[in-house]
Amino acid sequence: MTEIARAEQPETAGQPAAVGQPPAGESKPARVVPGQPDMWVLVLFEALAFTAYLGVYLYHRAADNASFLQSQAQLSPWLGTIDTLLLLTSSLFMLRCVQASRAGQVRAAMVNVVVTGLLGVAFLGCKVTEWVRLARAGHGFTSNEFFTYYFFLTGIHFLHLLIGFVTIGVLVYQLRRRERRSQEIVETCAVYWHTVDLLWVLIFSLLYVVR
Amino acid sequence: MGTEPEAAIGTEPKRRALLVWLLLSAITLGYLALDWSVDGHGAYRASTVVTTVAIVAALVKVRFIFREFMRVRNAPVLLCRLTDLWVLLIGAALLGSYFAGMAVH
Repeated sequence: MTEIARAEQPETAGQPAAVGQPPAGESKPARVVPGQPDMWVLVLFEALAFTAYLGVYLYHRAADNASFLQSQAQLSPWLGTIDTLLLLTSSLFMLRCVQASRAGQVRAAMVNVVVTGLLGVAFLGCKVTEWVRLARAGHGFTSNEFFTYYFFLTGIHFLHLLIGFVTIGVLVYQLRRRERRSQEIVETCAVYWHTVDLLWVLIFSLLYVVR
Repeated sequence: MGTEPEAAIGTEPKRRALLVWLLLSAITLGYLALDWSVDGHGAYRASTVVTTVAIVAALVKVRFIFREFMRVRNAPVLLCRLTDLWVLLIGAALLGSYFAGMAVH
């Protein structure tokens, strides 16, 4: 049994579906964990870690909201919104990559993962643009409390995005050869990429939107 | 490889994913309207309502990402419940920190 066939096995209660074929056997799909369970431990841990960072930020913000608002006004809400839309769109294409891979449509999966990566690069470009704009305006990591949180949170997220590019590389590697393709690894990589999106959704709301 | 019919994925999952993306994008754009409602075109103004709505909307988006993009909807019930619990935990921590900060200072 090939790796991809084994990965698809839990999708049906009966026989595993052949690549590119509709699932045979019972119509009601079995519930399976998307990707490797270890990745979910990491996802939930990351969500909690970022919640702690953001909780501390909100607590201190409430203490000196006027100063935080003044600094927050230096951010571009449009750039933040574009960043968010880019990552949400990248998540949509990543989901389509998983769907295509599951259906055995390798070329479609590859196209979708490449688009996902390009959208990630666009996000990265927007983020660097904003950092440069702020630095030119004289705002840095030590300028004040707001910017310390801003650069810390966006910097840590940036690192997660870079790791996300590694997962995209793994995904492309997996998709290129049928013999080494594993649907479980494809989905594990996708779960990580969605986590990068999920964390940004929280960061965007708390750095750009809250008042 | 690459010759499989596109219809094999099915149009329903694609349409559902697109609808979720549209909803999440609409909420994101809604944030701009939310901020304008309190700031107008002037200086940023403090608003507990905007802060609370922004946090709750972010949690709604997080739950959609969990369920639809990360496919928790089709995962075992334990993972569904765990991610729901996580969303609640994040919400309680964020709102709790914000209101605790306001109360203490």
